[in-house]
Amino acid sequence: MSVKVLRVINRDRCIGCYSCMYACTRQLRGLGGTSKSAMRVRAYSGVEGTFSIRVCARCEEPDCAEACPTGALKTAPGGGVLLNREKCIHCGACVKTCAITALQWDEEEKIPIPCIHCGQCVRYCPNGVLALTDRQGPKEGDGHAK
Amino acid sequence: MQSKVMFADLTTGTFRIEEDPRLFRDFLGGTAAATELLTRHGRPDIDPLAPEAPLIFAIGPFSALFPAATKTIALFRSPLTGELGESHAGGRLASALRDAGIDALVVTGASKRPVYLKIDGLQADIRSARTFWGQSAPATERILREAAETRGRKLSIVRIGPAGERLSPLACATVDGSRHFGRLGLGAVMGSKKLKAIAVSGKGAVPIGDAKAYRNVYDRLYERVVRSGEMRKYHELGTPANVLALNAIGGLPTRNFSQGTFENAPLISGEAFLRDVNVQHTACAHCPCGCIQIAELREKFAPAHYSTVRVSYDYEPIFAVGTQLSLSGPDEILKVIASIEKQGWDSMSMGNTLAWATEAFLSGVIGESETNGLCLCFGDTKAYLEALRRIASGEGEFFRDLEMGTAFCSEKYGGADFAMQYGRVEPAGYLTGENAVMSWITGVRHSHLDDFGYSIDQKLLLQEIPLEEQVRMQVEDARWRMVLNSLVICLFARGVYDNDIIVEALGTLGLEWPLDRLKRLGEETLRAKYRWKAACGFSLDNTAIPEKMFRVKTSTGLIDRDRMARRLELYCKDL
Repeated sequence: MSVKVLRVINRDRCIGCYSCMYACTRQLRGLGGTSKSAMRVRAYSGVEGTFSIRVCARCEEPDCAEACPTGALKTAPGGGVLLNREKCIHCGACVKTCAITALQWDEEEKIPIPCIHCGQCVRYCPNGVLALTDRQGPKEGDGHAK
Repeated sequence: MQSKVMFADLTTGTFRIEEDPRLFRDFLGGTAAATELLTRHGRPDIDPLAPEAPLIFAIGPFSALFPAATKTIALFRSPLTGELGESHAGGRLASALRDAGIDALVVTGASKRPVYLKIDGLQADIRSARTFWGQSAPATERILREAAETRGRKLSIVRIGPAGERLSPLACATVDGSRHFGRLGLGAVMGSKKLKAIAVSGKGAVPIGDAKAYRNVYDRLYERVVRSGEMRKYHELGTPANVLALNAIGGLPTRNFSQGTFENAPLISGEAFLRDVNVQHTACAHCPCGCIQIAELREKFAPAHYSTVRVSYDYEPIFAVGTQLSLSGPDEILKVIASIEKQGWDSMSMGNTLAWATEAFLSGVIGESETNGLCLCFGDTKAYLEALRRIASGEGEFFRDLEMGTAFCSEKYGGADFAMQYGRVEPAGYLTGENAVMSWITGVRHSHLDDFGYSIDQKLLLQEIPLEEQVRMQVEDARWRMVLNSLVICLFARGVYDNDIIVEALGTLGLEWPLDRLKRLGEETLRAKYRWKAACGFSLDNTAIPEKMFRVKTSTGLIDRDRMARRLELYCKDL
């Protein structure tokens, strides 16, 4: 079975419009803003126009799930994680352990926002920075942690 | 539904949030809501730099919800004109205010010591800025963005450079990388409050009335912004596309508005910048068009050693320090822009003021005794960089005066007939004809963005339009822009946001604003602004045009005194 994985394939083309984060919040949650987005773009200080994009790596053995003390975050089929809200004790251990700071935190509800690799952010990126790729062979692109 | 107004008093160091759903129900948001706040809290009777003078920011119902709805409106009393101060900026500010849940911000009072205002959601705090008072505008952004307390947040930073600290009425406030509340001296108002910066972040999401309908309207707008070609000009060359376009019709103001063509226009065109120095486009938050043009300026400072800085450029700075000062290469222009950016001046006003100073020097109105030996000649980049250095360091009375603007300097030193200012504001880069001049003398902020005067001039090259009709179009457009600036969208997307889609988009947010109600809001807001201007002493009966403008050929011929009087009469009647 081929597994879809969201990847940053053209980081250098990012213009910092945040359309991806707005799309995630709008399309999946029916809300305005960026704060419910499962991925993030951030501007770096000092260098005009340099953006870093953090997206879930859809790990097959996710550190975040391993860090969860209650089993609220479980490995999803094909990798990545699913959240069982009822079990979440809002400790934030999952977010802290994600070395690439891709797992986002919902500041209002105090819960993680797992990416479901649906590709809505890809659809609204005007410059082809993101792609939904098939996980086969070695990872492509210039990576998610840059 | 918007409702929250944050009041920050820098004298007492206190904050409060006022729930005012009625303000937004009656005035929509943006410039209309801000004008109402200015009417309520503004002080036309006191010095624009007095502590009591409010500084008002507002976003609108579309802010951060629809593509290209990126601007924040700022209203204040202008230290440059003494009347209505209004400036709009992009960047991430509107998005951050939306995340914070703040629909308008009113800053009053003045701190005794340098401070910055930190807003996170509905919480605000006044922090010391003593350690970075005196720092350049770009350095201030780096400092605040790196600060541990704000690291990792989607933060917007509004800050002033040393020019604002010195209370120069030409001082702007810079937003994030390179957007500006450029005009009318907002930087000095912040400086007078000892307010070095405002940092805004938030965590909120906005509930949507009808999410399905919202997504549907959003998708249509997104398609038009990104794929229809309607915003291609901005997406590709950006505003610098105007250099060759205006030069071709003799509307590119050159060497202090002496002529409408620049012999080296091809060397400093948008195309030349793109080819030679552009390294990237960036965008305001939630604008997939991305019109911000970033260039790299590489300079050799020692054998085998280079320094590199990134400088954002647009048509207006290219005009103001390029054609106006007769600089003939992207690097020369970028050096001057970078110097202006560090100090935090409005590049349009500063470029025009240097152009006045040059004509004053070349025509003997001032001499080397004023300039302390510095020869100001068109095309001399080194001299202009030296002049800017002297202004920044306060070396000599004449240079200190230059950052007071063209009107002030011409009143003090002479040369008023070639002092390019309308209502004390230095003009934008259009020598297209009478309609552009009308925008500058009648526009509520004396701006080429108050209505599409320069565009009517260009239409006249292709078709005849009766004078009455030209003025009517101008008034109608000025009113409609009040609506666009209340929503608040970027005016570059004004073609995309047609009447029907605006009404429909408002509906998806649960806001009932049929077209006739929107138009009434536009009319009333324009009138309210004129009323506030009148309270400050402005009158459409006392407008003036620099004498030189009657001797220079524009795209549409010479400017006629009688016809201008007739236009003004019609304008007042239509209003």
